Amino acid sequence: MPMYQVKPISGGDLKVDLPTCMYKLPNIHAQPDSGSCIDNLLQNGEVDPALKALEQRQDEILRRLYELKAAVDGLAKTVTTPDADLDATSLSSAATMCASKEVADLDTLLGKDLGALRDIVINANPSSPPLSLLVLHGLLCQRYRVLSTVHVHSSVSTVPPKLLNCLGPRHADSYTRQRFQLGFTLIWKNVPRLQMKFSVPNMCPIEGEGNVARFLSRLVGLEPQDPVAATQSDSWVDTAVFQLAEGSGKERAAVLRALNGALGRGPWLVGSELSLADVVCSCCLLQTGTSATSTPANVQRWLKGCQNLGHLACIIPLLQ
Amino acid sequence: MVIGLHLPQAGEEELQAQSKKGLKKQQKEAEKAAKKAEKQAKLAAEQQSTDEDDFAKDRYGVSPMVQSQQKLDRVLVRVQELTPQRADQLIWLRARVHTSRAKGKQCFLVLRQQQFNVQALVAVGDRASKQMVKFAANLNKESIVDVEAVVRKVDQKIESCTQQDVELHIERMFVISMAEPRLPLQLEDAVRPEGEGDEEGRATVNQDTKLDNRVIDLRTTTSQAIFRLQSGVCQLFRDTLIKKDFVEIQTPKIISAASEGGANVFTVSYFKTSAYLAQSPQLYKQMCICADFDKVFCVGPVFRAEDSNTHRHLTEFVGLDIEMAFSYHYHEVIDSITDTMVQIFKGLQDKFQTEIQTVNKQYPSEPFKFLEPTLRLEYLEGVAMLRAAGVEMGDEEDLSTPNEKLLGRLVKEKYDTDFYVLDKYPLAVRPFYTMPDPSDQKYSNSYDMFMRGEEILSGAQRVHDAQLLTERATHHNIDLEKIKAYIDSFRYGAPPHAGGGIGLERVVMLYLGLHNIRQTSMFPRDPKRLTP
Repeated sequence: MPMYQVKPISGGDLKVDLPTCMYKLPNIHAQPDSGSCIDNLLQNGEVDPALKALEQRQDEILRRLYELKAAVDGLAKTVTTPDADLDATSLSSAATMCASKEVADLDTLLGKDLGALRDIVINANPSSPPLSLLVLHGLLCQRYRVLSTVHVHSSVSTVPPKLLNCLGPRHADSYTRQRFQLGFTLIWKNVPRLQMKFSVPNMCPIEGEGNVARFLSRLVGLEPQDPVAATQSDSWVDTAVFQLAEGSGKERAAVLRALNGALGRGPWLVGSELSLADVVCSCCLLQTGTSATSTPANVQRWLKGCQNLGHLACIIPLLQ
Repeated sequence: MVIGLHLPQAGEEELQAQSKKGLKKQQKEAEKAAKKAEKQAKLAAEQQSTDEDDFAKDRYGVSPMVQSQQKLDRVLVRVQELTPQRADQLIWLRARVHTSRAKGKQCFLVLRQQQFNVQALVAVGDRASKQMVKFAANLNKESIVDVEAVVRKVDQKIESCTQQDVELHIERMFVISMAEPRLPLQLEDAVRPEGEGDEEGRATVNQDTKLDNRVIDLRTTTSQAIFRLQSGVCQLFRDTLIKKDFVEIQTPKIISAASEGGANVFTVSYFKTSAYLAQSPQLYKQMCICADFDKVFCVGPVFRAEDSNTHRHLTEFVGLDIEMAFSYHYHEVIDSITDTMVQIFKGLQDKFQTEIQTVNKQYPSEPFKFLEPTLRLEYLEGVAMLRAAGVEMGDEEDLSTPNEKLLGRLVKEKYDTDFYVLDKYPLAVRPFYTMPDPSDQKYSNSYDMFMRGEEILSGAQRVHDAQLLTERATHHNIDLEKIKAYIDSFRYGAPPHAGGGIGLERVVMLYLGLHNIRQTSMFPRDPKRLTP
């Protein structure tokens, strides 16, 4: 203790005759446990255990604050890294670096788990099943423990059984939702556009099959890390959704020609591996129906390649 | 003394004023009486004159009270059957006078039968006399009449009636039962949507008036629709469960011991001792399971002596209770119950669309949405969703009513369903007979079901082992002596089972999006109401 101690001048228990017409308040000057406190101090520096606990708590809070600061700094670094003015030479090195990196875990991708199952809810119209999302669901299942459920919304009267089973058989553990890392809830509903809802308080719904496919592809690492390739992939996704699936005959023919051209240069649409572009384009192509005569050779070869990888197996029953 | 002087004067003045007023009043009354007498005399004269020269006097009047004097072969047509196909037919019909409005030599009536109504016309002509039109115009509202009339197609749709394409041209009409001229409430006022009355300065009827005069209130289209739908819920509940091989059972309502804990029970005198009114058929349902009935349900009154005057509590309501033995996991039971609910919702959606629309006219609400199979969330997930929305609560804390509502909104936003199951409640907030969770002793195999964010069913896997049940009861400080019979019923082999109970009134209220349970109870019982 830096200060010296003086014994109290007057006794703590001074008796004063108080009038009875007023109410009593506890004495704010005298400490109720002043006696014991003095004793403690007199016993030369031995600290009260309560004080110790307080100190520990403070240390703990400070430690957590430091951790938090470190986390925020890390985040800030990733956000503020200038990538707009990267030159082409550094791009390739960045790409290889990213490729070697394992796909980050769900906590960093989707935010901290609050104890609830992270449930991805997809509202889809049974008149146009989102085939590409079903393929991505299959890929998600390979990487994570996914609880897949299919529901029918009351806005839809009947749904063919093949759509009810499109996410495969029920997981054996499906009775405990807590055992899963991710939920994939497909709701057949009368919606004009496909819709995905994830974290309702923090995130607006994502609309359109292509956009939802982008979201899911990030979880399975199917989106190219290299910015150029990612842009190309993005472009193919939009082309597939807007021109192949929803476009007129002329537009489709144009896309088929473009696909044929691109596939003449390599086995896959973007880069040397299967990417989101391949998944979405092949699904849209399969959904609109392909005849052997109208499909160019490169496209046919590529479609076979896609099917050989096995990812498309889950949507084959839906095409019949 | 000043005051004393003034007071009598003031008094006198007042007295004088009063007497003056009184005089005026008397005069007025005298005038009124005179007028009345005059009117009566006139009426009598008219009556006489009508008696004299009314060619149609046999075609209308007040029938003698129907005492089953004769058995007529006359076929009475239903108002809802009045379609253009019946055009130009002469039919008999019994209905209430909904409104009657004279217009010169014609009188327009609206005749009502339950939720259906049709326009009818009495016009002076070769069938009806002037006196008959007058008679029709003076009919008291809500009187029951027998009418013979010709069905006629109309060129312009009658927007105010349910039978829009036809009207009736009355040839004979007889009053079967006359209503009193003054009704305690007007039907039009009772069905006016909330808020609309205020704007246009028209009357609405408050809830207590409606409930005090329930017989008239129940005649409104809204009430007719609500209780037809309620009957539908019961019917669908029975049909679905019978199809699932359930057995309907009847359980006693007078019981010797309080079933749940002992609080909130009504005590009734029972000869030399006292008894209780059953809070739930729980024990008896479980005993039936132990007696190998496998799957049982019952529909019957349930009593709660809770002094809570809320929009969703009644002291007597109809319980739809289910209990079922399962093979290996209580989710089999949840699936059964939720499927039953979904079948009810679907049935209502298909068969009661007009009723739903009718109620919606007075009490607009969003249509009831649901998923099939029903969404099942776990309690911890619910808590996490609430926390993400800014609610602070402990893991093992029970959901408060506002939190239940909020969670309902959050679930609706994400999954767009008004019906879901919340599974795995904390053991601490459930009754002693709830089976603990096998992997985490803090939780239990229990569930609540929600409609539009309000709880409608509470259920669980029950402890079917006498020893564990004794332990749980001791843990809850329950007097073992009082529940001896209950525990003993599990001593001779009991199948694992689970179940739950639904409140019929709540289901109807929440399905229709109504805001008070008294609207869906025909003769509601709450702490403040025992009549009618």
